[in-house]
Amino acid sequence: MLEYLTRLLRRLLGHTPADTSPQTAPGASPVSDGATTMSQIKTIADVRRYFLNNKEPVYFISATNFNLLGIGDWVGNFRHINYINCFDDQQRNVFVPKEKFPRDFESIEDINNYLLEHKEVIDFIQSRADGDNAGTAAFLMFDEHTEEVCKQLGLKVAFPPAELRSRMDNKIETVRIGNKAGVPSVPNVLAKVGSYQELCEVSKELGDDLVIQTAFGDSGHTTFFISNEDDYYKHAEEIEAESEVKIMKRINCRGSAIEACATRCGTVVGPLMTELVGFKTLTPYKGGWCGNEMFAGAFDQSVRDKAREYTFQFGEALREEGYRGYFELDFLIDMDNGEVYLGELNPRVTGASSLTNVAAFAHSDIPLFLFHLLEFSDVDFDLDINEINERWAHPESVDSWSQLVIKHTDESVDLLTQAPRTGVWKMAADGSLAYHHYDSHPHAAEDESEGFFLRISGVGDFRYEGADLGILITRGRLMDDDFQLNERAKAWIEGIRAQYAGQSLQDPVVEEVAVSHAVGGGNFKIL
Amino acid sequence: MDKMLDFRTVREETAGPRWQALFEYHWPAYEQWYLSEGERERPGYLACYNALRQHMPELLDTYRTLCKLAGGSDLAARFLSLYQPPPYITGCSQAVLASPSSTMLARNYDYPPELCEGTILYTHWNERRVIAMTDCLWGVLDGMNDRGLAVSLAFGGRKAVGQGFGAPIILRYLLEFCDTVPEASEVLARIPTHMAYNITVADSAGRYVTAMIAPDRRASIRRVPVATNHQKKIEWYAHALASETLIRERQLSILVDDEDTTEERLIAAFSSPPLFRHDYRRGLGTVYTAIYRPCSGRAQFHWPGLNLDLSFDHFPEERITVRYGVRGLNHG
Repeated sequence: MLEYLTRLLRRLLGHTPADTSPQTAPGASPVSDGATTMSQIKTIADVRRYFLNNKEPVYFISATNFNLLGIGDWVGNFRHINYINCFDDQQRNVFVPKEKFPRDFESIEDINNYLLEHKEVIDFIQSRADGDNAGTAAFLMFDEHTEEVCKQLGLKVAFPPAELRSRMDNKIETVRIGNKAGVPSVPNVLAKVGSYQELCEVSKELGDDLVIQTAFGDSGHTTFFISNEDDYYKHAEEIEAESEVKIMKRINCRGSAIEACATRCGTVVGPLMTELVGFKTLTPYKGGWCGNEMFAGAFDQSVRDKAREYTFQFGEALREEGYRGYFELDFLIDMDNGEVYLGELNPRVTGASSLTNVAAFAHSDIPLFLFHLLEFSDVDFDLDINEINERWAHPESVDSWSQLVIKHTDESVDLLTQAPRTGVWKMAADGSLAYHHYDSHPHAAEDESEGFFLRISGVGDFRYEGADLGILITRGRLMDDDFQLNERAKAWIEGIRAQYAGQSLQDPVVEEVAVSHAVGGGNFKIL
Repeated sequence: MDKMLDFRTVREETAGPRWQALFEYHWPAYEQWYLSEGERERPGYLACYNALRQHMPELLDTYRTLCKLAGGSDLAARFLSLYQPPPYITGCSQAVLASPSSTMLARNYDYPPELCEGTILYTHWNERRVIAMTDCLWGVLDGMNDRGLAVSLAFGGRKAVGQGFGAPIILRYLLEFCDTVPEASEVLARIPTHMAYNITVADSAGRYVTAMIAPDRRASIRRVPVATNHQKKIEWYAHALASETLIRERQLSILVDDEDTTEERLIAAFSSPPLFRHDYRRGLGTVYTAIYRPCSGRAQFHWPGLNLDLSFDHFPEERITVRYGVRGLNHG
């Protein structure tokens, strides 16, 4: 019936069928509001309307919904399918299967594949499907098996193929693409290392202070700082197991993150964010990522401009490699000379996406992730990306937000008997915290005395070294100009930790199980 | 010391509240068993569904119905697929006696009584009416359909475990969708099993075969009327000794090869050693004797001193309590 009306309208309005997008998705009806046709998306308003009117299900499937908090406000029929119930069933667009067994997941891909093969999830997806078309799925991580399952369930994966993503994710490959695109990396050599002597030989020109990274790895797990033979032997086994490692000169640098989206109209670039790295009050991993800050004056104008320019160039190079959509780059800013070096590429949404998609520019235009969904939709669009990039580069577009990823940093293991709820928490003048109200969006935190807390470890979960306790997102900054945690950050960390209570495991057998759970791959990283 | 088991006859043509009640009654024990090696050892729901869809697609509608009755949960659905269940073993002897005028499949089921459901289910889920002793809530240990096909399973006495289905669901599939021994043979050659089983099939035309199926080799399907607990040569000596598989096979072979063996004589043989076994302590005692006559659609269940006669036209709902003791077996 709808199709008939559409055809009739087209005839009445004098459009030939060739005028409209040939592959319009259900729900993306070319008839926008009954009066005009929208054969091609030309403005940001068109994009907004297109997604608000969306009828075809869009899913973000992951351990938690942290990375894409709030996207459901922009996209009709958007649902999160998660393993961890951060919201205690209070959030309508979050689906968590009820029947779960404690499992040692090896990776986020592993969690996603478990979810997609779970009967409750399949029933949920099928109950919302339109025949063979079950909608679109986005992931933080996925592999070839995920792709096969999605195909069977009728889900389109809104990302380039896993194989390509995996190739792009390789740190060594990143250096090569950067070199090709004119985006320099920290002085480095790529080599196979079999002994300390070999390392010294290949890295002669880089000096004595070295940083070694393996091709794949995350947040401080596979970054080794080596300035002497003893340092080397601590990590020799991991280094020598690799067929090639990236050996860098150690520079006095600050970490930064920037997110972008490679579209057919060009690469859209978000703002440069600082990174919180390796704070002992937040993470037990040396060099481990533990949050971000976004504010207009993050680094000098020249550094920001350079990073944005490099990101655009890198995005265009990615498109040439066949990659499109959302990606994140880490830049290392040399504090001694202001040089901007390419750190690593994450070809996906990341932990920083929760800030990129929250700030003022995202709300005055559209969140960056919507460009990604648009790129993977069947709709035809022609947007002036340069104009958007210029607007987003303006300091007034960037309001100030920060996030802290709080892990358990002690070596102790216990069972949680108390955990803070997800929602808005308020800090009193004396630094004490109290739950204020439930909300699912960081925007609900109105000023710096309030913070949106996403609870990850809950009552009944094991608390072990490295376990993610939760994530705090708040307005304003959490570090000072020397990149040290400020007093407010410290008070929040202390306040949130104080909300947790655990029961120690007296029984040595239970403790052993808990420890092996924590050590044996159970401590998957959710970000 | 004595063990007791209630046998129940349950008639429900379309799966509904009665089957649901059976599920609810037995599920706690099955759940524990299903999780015995850890949840992760069992395949995910999608893999189970895909395996059924690939190998027994005609069974999917029934499977969906039962999953819904079971509450729609992930774990129950995985269990009900019987795809890659935890390994398990049984005893059992079975033999076919076929003459131009009648076919009879008789068997003893040797197993721990406390692990037997004791449900004799009369169903009409698809095109055929089926009477069967159930296992895993809808799987079949032995049974027949109203088109004249009778089936029975015995453990194959080998330790091999691989990718495939628990045999009871394969037997269910045979009874729901096959009419003759040639049709059943084709199915038995094709469907993967997760352990070694000897499946004996007989039809009303007097045909019979025993299929030795296993996860690690092609099915051997031959016109053999008897089966106990080994496949060709003995591989698992401890099991063969404990279950006395060779002695039982020899006894059955002599009986069915003897032209003077009548149905009554064969049935009587199942009631005494070596076929009837009292080894309840080690879980290898005879739990019941079943006799199927696919030509007339009659099924009999025997315990010492007690018979239960059932047919497609006469299927009273009853409950029989059987006591398995060291000195023998009583009903009461």
